Amino acid sequence: MERLVVIWCPGLLEEGQRGEEARRFARVLARAGELCPWVHPIRLGVGALPARGPARFFGGEEAVVARLAAAIGALDEVDNLDDVDKVGEEAKIGIAEGLFAAMLAARSELIVPPGGTADFLAPWSVATLARPDLAVTLQRLGVTTLGQFAALPAASVSDRFGSDAAACHAVARGESGELAGLRDRAIARRLRVASGEDPDRPPGAPRPPSQPGFFGGASEADARAARSFVLVQERLGIEAVLIGRLRGGRDPAGQSVLVPWASPDPDSTPSPGGPATGAPWPGRLPPPAPTDVLQVPRRAELVDTEGNAMVVNGRGLLTAPIDRLSVDGGPWEKVAAWAGPWPVTERWWAVRRRRARLQVVTEEGVARLLCSERGRWWVEALYD
Amino acid sequence: MFAFSTTGAAPSPNPVTPRRDPRAPRELPDGLADRVRPTTPVAGRTLPVPAPLAPLFPGGSLRRGTTTIVSGQPGHGATTLALALLGAASAAGSWCAAVGLPDPGVVAAAGLGLDLRRVVFVPHPGAGWAEAAGDLLSGVDAVLVRPPGRARLTAARHLTARARDRQAALVVLLEGAGSWPEGGDLALAVGAVEWEGVGRGYGYLRGRRAEVRVSGRRAAGRMTECSLWLPADSGAVATAESLSDGAA
Repeated sequence: MERLVVIWCPGLLEEGQRGEEARRFARVLARAGELCPWVHPIRLGVGALPARGPARFFGGEEAVVARLAAAIGALDEVDNLDDVDKVGEEAKIGIAEGLFAAMLAARSELIVPPGGTADFLAPWSVATLARPDLAVTLQRLGVTTLGQFAALPAASVSDRFGSDAAACHAVARGESGELAGLRDRAIARRLRVASGEDPDRPPGAPRPPSQPGFFGGASEADARAARSFVLVQERLGIEAVLIGRLRGGRDPAGQSVLVPWASPDPDSTPSPGGPATGAPWPGRLPPPAPTDVLQVPRRAELVDTEGNAMVVNGRGLLTAPIDRLSVDGGPWEKVAAWAGPWPVTERWWAVRRRRARLQVVTEEGVARLLCSERGRWWVEALYD
Repeated sequence: MFAFSTTGAAPSPNPVTPRRDPRAPRELPDGLADRVRPTTPVAGRTLPVPAPLAPLFPGGSLRRGTTTIVSGQPGHGATTLALALLGAASAAGSWCAAVGLPDPGVVAAAGLGLDLRRVVFVPHPGAGWAEAAGDLLSGVDAVLVRPPGRARLTAARHLTARARDRQAALVVLLEGAGSWPEGGDLALAVGAVEWEGVGRGYGYLRGRRAEVRVSGRRAAGRMTECSLWLPADSGAVATAESLSDGAA
């Protein structure tokens, strides 16, 4: 069964005398649809959408619920040109597997964990199935909860009560989420009429599925963040607000790039997790990566106990054990440990750059990444 | 008990349909509360922190509207800790900003859990660092700011007030010359550190074990001091027991 997010608007479940509920519900669905595609109406006041995509996109089901609730509750801020509708709607949102459980979850504002449907349903009364005759009969038999109903053998239920009861039984066991009468078949058409559209247009034709873009700011939080970035850019310049991207590379500076925020992404998909995938980069240092990757490397002096400058010899080895280190002509720091050198020969087909890299930890516990090139040492990065 | 059938019900006698129908919250059947997660509190007041850091925080999460001060000697891991504080919130969909980190290590930030698509860096705000942080507090959920020197009292008060008003989390990173005139709601200080995995000419940096001390007005977490990997050999933070013993 698919995990569904159900949006339950308690104030819009019944058509009132002024008949505005359908129109207001259509606005709720439209607002939710801006955030997540594939929002569809179940009946008046109840809408549903698959949970999986939005949960991945927004980073968790809680985040989906929070965003939907905020968006629907803030309809007034968005539609403030339309003075008839200056009210946010109250919506209860829940997530579970199958429509039946998801609707129950929404009424109680709960997220039912995956695989927990049968457990979740067990304590509810059989009356929740909306089959009054069946409920009365079951209660006379001493079966009052969905859990007790689910415990009855499926074959007996089907034999004694017929196919509709068998469908109810499957729902109670958490094997199915659909029940006749849950969905209002006419709701889509009714909402189209209510929102002033042509009811005979084939359903679902236009409305392109649109996920909010990170830089386009379709979601409210993105738009709010974007406004603050623009403020900072006005204060400090376009280049002041940067966003990081990972890319393939061998050294810390090459594995990532900082680009001005809102600039178009050249290779579309920034990989969110670990370092950029794709081709292996032999010679790359294993994690953890340094927290400070110096844009301008700093000069360093590295000497042995006699005060002789450390040199990486032709075989890629240090000439003597390291004793102490000085950065930018600063005070000498005693070196406690080091790893390397790892020779790096980059772009050998263009400019021959023979370099070697060294991780150095001082007695103070400060770790740096150093690089030697043409007999000179540079601090490339810091592990702060 | 309720039934789902609602259409075709008698119209309300009230000519003006009430806009909201605040039906009383339903009581859950017995035994259900333990098995499901409530949805509403999550949306509200707190931002998640990575699991290894949760014991340091009252309630196990970063409270919106509060100021957290992270301090340590330069090079002892305060930057790692401050970035890690934003990791879980960023991964959960919050926008974050880092102001005044001059040379941010993007790979390290990603390793600490930050979703780079929703993190902006303002590496060189110059003298306008407080104004930039203030602007960002009104737009994102969490702002990490590293004052370049001694922060003036007015600037500090302005930022903490802005964080409270906008219900954003402010994380102040103090290293070297940086200082902050107030105590903050919670203060995390990185103490003794020790690198693992590297010897005199062999191995490579695998992880840094650090002692972190918690203090401050809201220091009601379960721990006041703990031992963390800042970071562990995965690039993320971890509680100090979890790196394998054969690290060295």
